[in-house]
Amino acid sequence: MDEEGNITRRRALIAGGSVLAFGSGVAYMGSRSGASGQHYVPDTTHAGSGTTGFDVDLDGRPIAGERDAPIDIYYWTDYLCPFCKQFETETLPELGREHLDTGDARLAVLPYPNIGEYSTPAAVWGRCVWSQVADSDPDAFWNWHAAAFAEQPESGTDWADDEMFAAVTEQTAGVGLSAVETCREERGATIRERIEPNVAMAQESRIQGTPGFVLYNRDSGAAGKLVGAHPYENFADAIDQVRRA
Amino acid sequence: MTGGPATASRDWTRDLRDALGYPLTSDARLLSAAVVALATYVILVLSSFPQFSVQVLSTDPTDIGYAVTALTREVYLTTGYLGLALVATYAVLAGVAVTNALALVQRARRRSVSTIVGVLPGLLAAGCASCGAGVLGALGFVGAMAALPFDGNLLRVGGIALLLFFLGRAGDPQTCSLDGGGRA
Repeated sequence: MDEEGNITRRRALIAGGSVLAFGSGVAYMGSRSGASGQHYVPDTTHAGSGTTGFDVDLDGRPIAGERDAPIDIYYWTDYLCPFCKQFETETLPELGREHLDTGDARLAVLPYPNIGEYSTPAAVWGRCVWSQVADSDPDAFWNWHAAAFAEQPESGTDWADDEMFAAVTEQTAGVGLSAVETCREERGATIRERIEPNVAMAQESRIQGTPGFVLYNRDSGAAGKLVGAHPYENFADAIDQVRRA
Repeated sequence: MTGGPATASRDWTRDLRDALGYPLTSDARLLSAAVVALATYVILVLSSFPQFSVQVLSTDPTDIGYAVTALTREVYLTTGYLGLALVATYAVLAGVAVTNALALVQRARRRSVSTIVGVLPGLLAAGCASCGAGVLGALGFVGAMAALPFDGNLLRVGGIALLLFFLGRAGDPQTCSLDGGGRA
């Protein structure tokens, strides 16, 4: 009997099944990894110079793409941020192939330490690795960068420490651990200080979390903002809009 | 109320069981609980990174599936299965709470103002559900939750405890509730 006002077996089963399906669906979405397993290494990488029209200091920063690309993409990131990893593995490869390697745009990697205690030290590691390989082997930076993100475990931020980043550095071909350690000791404080003005720029652009992006048309001065690991299509649309603006 | 803490606790447990079972008493109630639970889950997950959610949805509202999937993964990576399970549990309880509160409001409309006392706990339960979503949203993004005790799971447990407390207090909305939980 399916009487109004009574708890029937049918409804109990439907409710139980729905809760089970809902729980399984949530668990599936949580554990599903969209990572392709391949990381992006740009065709060309250069060290930035000077401050851009958007007031971002690119001096010595790693930039993927051609030096004279008409669109700047400022990419604020944190090695401890899972959402940044999602961008790196799911969106960056296609964005790189379609827009950075073609000369449409260039992407500057800028630290925005905000997730855990080791976010800032991790940013210093990245900067020191880049300083070491910028002239000789810029691809090594991207390999290190991808390897650092790949170390993110399934959950939490406890994984990040000196030991872990030293291991990633040691395992990346073309990067010398001792030179990076020396850089961290000698230039660590300066690097930390130089991170701040660019983070302030991100905050001024109302970017409240990572990954955060500002797309800037270097000719017209038009700018657009994207926050979070958007799908590639949203980046393509945003680049198109900023280019035409 | 008469009786010691043990009786009160037994009453609360019985009332909670009745409250949780109420959406099973009709197809429409079951459907409304399911819809509210799903909507609450979507709101909770999207509010874990509001800037991203607003951008994705304003670019293309049909990308809501992408936003929910991406942020579910983000909640899991930040707070683990426990955090995700707490969010899902919270959503299901909110579905029950809102369905029960609607029943209480309808009953109050049919009867007199005096039953408003019985309606209040149910409304509080529903209010608590939306307040929980607001609190999570106000925290900005998942990164901020990581800074809270147990990656924000303590706050989620608190929200669920509060919801269960109010559900148990309101009991089965089909019966009258006087003097804070006793049956009339």
